[in-house]
Amino acid sequence: MLFFATTIDGLQMGLCFAVLALGVYISYSILDFPDLSVDGTFPLGGVVCTILMLKLGIPALPAILLSFFAGLAAGAITGILHVKFNITKLLSGIIVMTALLSVTLALTKLLTRTGFTTTIFSFRSENLSGIFGGKLVELLGSQNRDYMMLIIELVFVIAIKLIIDLFLKTKLGYMLRATGDNEMLVISLGKDSGTYKILGLALANGFVAMSGALYSNLFSQYDNSCGSGKVVMALASVIIGMAVFSKIRFVADTTAVIFGAVIYSLCLNYLVLVDTNGIYLKLLNAVMFALILIFNDKTSSLVSKHSKLKGGTSKC
Amino acid sequence: MLELKNVSKIYNPGTVTELCLFDNFNLTVNDGEFVSVVGSNGSGKTSMLNIICGSIPVSGGEVLIDGKNVNSLHEYQRYRMMGRVYQNPAAGTCPNMTIIENMSLADNKGKRYGLSFGVNYAKKQFYREQLSTLGLGLEDKLDVKLGALSGGQRQAVSLLMATMTPIDFLILDEHTAALDPRTAEIIMELTDKVIKEKHLTAIMVTHNLRYAVEYGTRLIMMDKGNIILDKQGEEKQKAKVDDILDIFNKISIECGN
Repeated sequence: MLFFATTIDGLQMGLCFAVLALGVYISYSILDFPDLSVDGTFPLGGVVCTILMLKLGIPALPAILLSFFAGLAAGAITGILHVKFNITKLLSGIIVMTALLSVTLALTKLLTRTGFTTTIFSFRSENLSGIFGGKLVELLGSQNRDYMMLIIELVFVIAIKLIIDLFLKTKLGYMLRATGDNEMLVISLGKDSGTYKILGLALANGFVAMSGALYSNLFSQYDNSCGSGKVVMALASVIIGMAVFSKIRFVADTTAVIFGAVIYSLCLNYLVLVDTNGIYLKLLNAVMFALILIFNDKTSSLVSKHSKLKGGTSKC
Repeated sequence: MLELKNVSKIYNPGTVTELCLFDNFNLTVNDGEFVSVVGSNGSGKTSMLNIICGSIPVSGGEVLIDGKNVNSLHEYQRYRMMGRVYQNPAAGTCPNMTIIENMSLADNKGKRYGLSFGVNYAKKQFYREQLSTLGLGLEDKLDVKLGALSGGQRQAVSLLMATMTPIDFLILDEHTAALDPRTAEIIMELTDKVIKEKHLTAIMVTHNLRYAVEYGTRLIMMDKGNIILDKQGEEKQKAKVDDILDIFNKISIECGN
């Protein structure tokens, strides 16, 4: 029973982190930019959403959508630091991440409490009885609340996936892909590649912030420390997803990334079962990530990407 | 018309490695000219192209396009008037995007890259026709990623992409150097065809003296940042590879090579 509960819990977390991973997919895979500001924009989205809901009384869904813009602004700053002031990719991310630690703390001070009473997942079982003449509640059984949460998350994640897929098929999306693929081509086309980098980072962090907002909703509480380790988690999700699922035909990269996030979350949750005190959790987390990279380096086409980074041609 | 007026370029100024490459360098390229540039390594050929394209700043002097000073224009702004094919076949295309996606990107040059769909399927037939002019069978591989093509095929697509939209100048930076002799020949013939068909003004840097003699309307030889030979018109048509090679050897010997 514990195993079952852990699985459900892992799926819920996984779908929440899928949004995070989709954001990092844009910065890491599309733009070839390992963006560390994620550790800061994730809690930023959480705290902004919490303020919007508790202070301004905005309902959960619009609050989550609005938190996108907080991440958008923070991501744009990372981009501007890198593009306009020539700060390396890693350092611009670290600068923004560090600054955001204070920003989120200051924003938390605006709140008198951090717990929610109603979230995007708030609904009464009675209300569900209207759907399919109560069959749905019957079908889902006593766990119906958990299942409904999963369904809501799934709808949310799929909507975001479709939006990103569509966006990447537009001319602007093509330019974003070209910027990560061959920056020289963008310049040859008479466009400033820096603009696309800033735009891409802004969008990526927008989705990361939304994931943070969703995370607060999932736990009915905003937690200031929720950002730590999110970069590793997101990168691991993207790399697992791309390595395992992108090779299958007709599986879009975005779908692969979602699967990656879910699998990684499930693994993490099972680790908690082993390490009940949670002391070695981060260590196991890091080891798992290292194993993924080592395994991936041997098998996947991402190899070229890593060797490119090693070669120093990319300003990392 | 493209002019370089009294251009000077000093690398690493103020340091021990200071190197003055150009000192009062002048060059005028008239509309419709196809200039081949030859010279030994370090003679300043590629630096000249980079100065024209704005990839590196000048230390002094002016770069003029149609009489207008473009010194202050960024590289990407100058490419609105120019197309460039690089020595590295991978530089002119996106390896992770398909042929049709690459073609659509290039076809949209000069327009807005907004939220409309990237691939213009209505123009699929047009892209097919364009690709079939290359004679490499690429017209049936529209959905293949560029990275899966050979160097020669990629260079052919790069050339097509660089000349797809109206441009004033075509810059060819040793664009056959990384290809095998047969493919290089094909690409060179294609280049000549495209330049003649579209009446482009072109500057081609090459290490292949035969190409420099056979193609183009003007031949320039550079050495240590100076133009030491400039053959135009009839004089160019009469030029022989051996004559050019003689002069080339002479300057190389002077250098102590």
